Amino acid sequence: MQWAISVDHKKLAMMYIGAGLIFFLVGGIEAAFMRLQLAQAGNEIVDPATFNQLFTMHGTTMVFLVGMPILLGFGNYLIPLMVGARDMAFPRLNAFGFWLFIFGGLLLYFSYVGADGLYGAGTAPDVGWFAYAPLTSRTFSRGNSTDYWILGILVSGFGSMTTAINFIATILCMRCPGMKLMRMPMIAWMMLVVAFLVLVAIPILTAAQSMLLFDRTLGAHFFDPETQGSAILWQHLFWFFGHPEVYILILPAFGFVSEIMPTFSRKVIFGYPLMVAATVGIGFISLGVWAHHMFVVGLGPVLDSFFGATTFLISVPTGIKIFNWLGTMWGGRLQFTTPMLFVTGFVAMFVIGGLTGIMLATVPMDWQLSDSYFVVGHFHYVLFGGTVFGIFGALFYWFPKATGRMLNERLGKWTFWLLFIGFTLTFMPMHVSGALGMPRRIYTYEVDRGWEIWNLISSIGVPVQMAGVAIFLWNVVRSLRKGEVAGDDPWDAWTLEWSTTSPPPDWNFDRIPTCTSARPLWDRKHPEDPDAHYE
Amino acid sequence: MTPDHDKSKAERLAERAALAPRGPSEMPYLRAIPQPTPWPILAAFGLTFIFAGLVTNWMVSVVGAAFALVGLIGWFREVFPHENVEAIPVADCEAVLPPPVFEPRPAKSPRNVVPEEIHPYQSGFKGAVAGAIAMAVVAAGWGLIDEGSFWMPINLLAGTVLPSVGDATLEQLRLFNGGWFATAVAVHVCLSLAVGMVFVVSLPMMPRRPLLAGGLIAPIIWTGIAWATMRVVNPTLEEYISWPWFLGSQIAFGIACAAVISRTTKIRLQVGRSFESRMGFEQTEGDSS
Amino acid sequence: MTALNATTSNVPLTAPLSRAKVGMASLIFMESAFFSAFLVTYLYYIGKSPDGPQPLDCLELNMVLINSVCLLSSSITVVLAVRSLARGAMGAFRIWLAVTILLGLEFLLGTGYEWWGLIEDKGLTIQSNAFGTNFYSLVGFHAFHVLVGLVLLIGVFILSLFGCINPARDHQRVDVATWYWHFVDVVWILVFTLVYIVGRVPQGAAA
Repeated sequence: MQWAISVDHKKLAMMYIGAGLIFFLVGGIEAAFMRLQLAQAGNEIVDPATFNQLFTMHGTTMVFLVGMPILLGFGNYLIPLMVGARDMAFPRLNAFGFWLFIFGGLLLYFSYVGADGLYGAGTAPDVGWFAYAPLTSRTFSRGNSTDYWILGILVSGFGSMTTAINFIATILCMRCPGMKLMRMPMIAWMMLVVAFLVLVAIPILTAAQSMLLFDRTLGAHFFDPETQGSAILWQHLFWFFGHPEVYILILPAFGFVSEIMPTFSRKVIFGYPLMVAATVGIGFISLGVWAHHMFVVGLGPVLDSFFGATTFLISVPTGIKIFNWLGTMWGGRLQFTTPMLFVTGFVAMFVIGGLTGIMLATVPMDWQLSDSYFVVGHFHYVLFGGTVFGIFGALFYWFPKATGRMLNERLGKWTFWLLFIGFTLTFMPMHVSGALGMPRRIYTYEVDRGWEIWNLISSIGVPVQMAGVAIFLWNVVRSLRKGEVAGDDPWDAWTLEWSTTSPPPDWNFDRIPTCTSARPLWDRKHPEDPDAHYE
Repeated sequence: MTPDHDKSKAERLAERAALAPRGPSEMPYLRAIPQPTPWPILAAFGLTFIFAGLVTNWMVSVVGAAFALVGLIGWFREVFPHENVEAIPVADCEAVLPPPVFEPRPAKSPRNVVPEEIHPYQSGFKGAVAGAIAMAVVAAGWGLIDEGSFWMPINLLAGTVLPSVGDATLEQLRLFNGGWFATAVAVHVCLSLAVGMVFVVSLPMMPRRPLLAGGLIAPIIWTGIAWATMRVVNPTLEEYISWPWFLGSQIAFGIACAAVISRTTKIRLQVGRSFESRMGFEQTEGDSS
Repeated sequence: MTALNATTSNVPLTAPLSRAKVGMASLIFMESAFFSAFLVTYLYYIGKSPDGPQPLDCLELNMVLINSVCLLSSSITVVLAVRSLARGAMGAFRIWLAVTILLGLEFLLGTGYEWWGLIEDKGLTIQSNAFGTNFYSLVGFHAFHVLVGLVLLIGVFILSLFGCINPARDHQRVDVATWYWHFVDVVWILVFTLVYIVGRVPQGAAA
């Protein structure tokens, strides 16, 4: 009860992250069923209809109910602490946004029992996470499972938007004295850009979903080609939301890397101003790349080249970030703690995902590979190898701050290596099976296509990853009870959240800190050589 | 760790408050935190039910609207006319608590910038000359042993920039051609110098063993890139090339060049300082140069 | 134990941005994105309704011009209301606010009347064709936002009747609340231009 009525940003953040992790398990189990089904040719573990529901719910869950809430949760936890505020700018709005996300997610999952299925049974949405028209029209999607998809995402989208408004107001208005914009921790910058992207992208999704809802309930003609509507319009609107969404999911992870990597390299972040500029650049360019998801639609050479070019362009600021992280590590005294392992893994995996992204941005290549398992491999490298690794790094890094106890390092390293190996086993072969022509979203395949071995390897990776996650959960439970006491500043870090107690009091800081440089805590620990001298 | 971890948070805070030196009062930014309130969750619940009614029963929407309305009104009363806040239970907010204790740790300023040292640019020039000669010897060896012509590798190299080489017959490739020779020499010199300069900067950055990095790893990577792109860059060379010999000539260059460069003493780079001070416009402390 | 950096405590605190203003600006930014999706969709579908009622036949300017004048002038009256509040003139504040609310109500009722005419006389519904679909969605969403703004203003008005509005304390808040009303007006200018001017251009010219 105390948690339900709380407006404290830290409690809300922990609920965000906890709920996100629970949905992560659910979405992971859905994925595990898919991999089980695809492990061999001609398997019949799940029927085609169930398989459609599995990949729809897996995608929707992972994007809207895992990625967004966990990253918004970290933003919630860290922004006030990092900019030296007592709470978010609108604490009640913060609680409102969180509960909207929870209820939206529950509404989506209620479809399993509540939507009109056969013989009164429920049925989950089965139109894919991007719900292309006209599959979503009344003609092809009977019952109301698609309406559940629309409404669940709509409601949790409202939550994301209110949280984004809160982020912007907090970052712009609640900074402590001396915390200039160019002294903010990288996470604050990333979250500012993320909030901006949320405010641009999610309303477009809301609008598109309203249109779809009108089509389905009122008989409007937005997306139904049979009645003058345009199915391509849905794709444009969805991906105008969808591509910024990818950056909404990856930018906070960039922020985690940019905080964790300097701490364990014992060096300041390399090229802070350029990093900020690259972040803002990514924010803007990401609004102009959406149609690279639509090369196979037949937009014509002009649009194809334009969106291919903007996609290449966005790899420039992204590349700047990669080099800045390498520059941060270079010559540093590296400490390979678990968080550092995860963020190092992040950089490696994200580079692979980024490079396959550039391959897919090449229009002719995309014509060949679009909607194949190559694409599945590509975006899992970005979103799992990128975002999820970043999240795990952040969990290990800030767990001591949030709970006052360290996570066990030995178990943490097991988690990392199991996840890393399992991840590579699962997703690396997908590039091959995709290049061999295996389309995504098929529920089974024939024996003679040469895909069996790659699918088998992919499926073998799943239990390895599950073991890693299980060890992580055990680690959390164990460390909460008898983990090593962390102290206020276990990593010898430089940002403000480590200057208060672990866990921080409800009011965050006994006195609002002042800030003289981008590394205020370094200045306090080393008054003889303050970082301010170097700015 | 510290023995006081089994004390409650309140006890620790009280302890620290007691220890606090009373300093000059500093205006805290905000003295309060918002009070817990059930209205936002009620409003969120109501809003969700409004939408859930669309797929279940309109009565659900009505109930949801009622909840949302009650939630919003309650919420409004929470912030109007005054925000409902809880004073921070630190003694009056005026008590100056000591900052958290940081264990003293040996620390180097996190501001070391790399590469801190490079080899003198001069040595890059020398290395380039050494490498160029070593490479030429191996290449000439290939020409004489495998192809029976000293001029063959030179003409092929010219093909990198001269498209006309592509039209030449094998006979012409084996003969001396003044224009091609001059071009090949120019290409060879330019490339060698460029690589030499890159080595000057990059060798100090490599973890130890410059000969391994410059003499083996770099040539292998370079040969790999050449192998992948030669069809585009120089189709004539692609036609006649012997990859083992090519790799050999690259290694010869790498070892010679890296050996010459790594023998010189490194000089400190003056990066990490502002442009003005590097240019000598500003005298900075400890600046001996 | 390190001392607090006492040296920096005398750094003058510059007045931070008001979080209410930033929050409202962000909300308006977000709503703009929402409306831009509908506006672009409307633009895309102009001239793409081969059969069913056509814009030129259905939409008449006389009624909507009165509505537009009312809504746009309400932006001016609400500014006058806020200025009165800033001066502390509660009577003038209430009167201008009431005028604003009446003008807003006129707009909503006028839109309702227009819709009634369209449905009854012209047979244009959301199901008719792409034009009907887009027209009702875009204008309907705008009207819904007018309604929200109106509820906001009516709330302020009721509070002021009960003497709960304190000019010195609340005029900033009321000011920020009226930003939303201005935003709704600006959106109407775009909607009007698109629906009643661009959208009514004869088919041949639009293509």
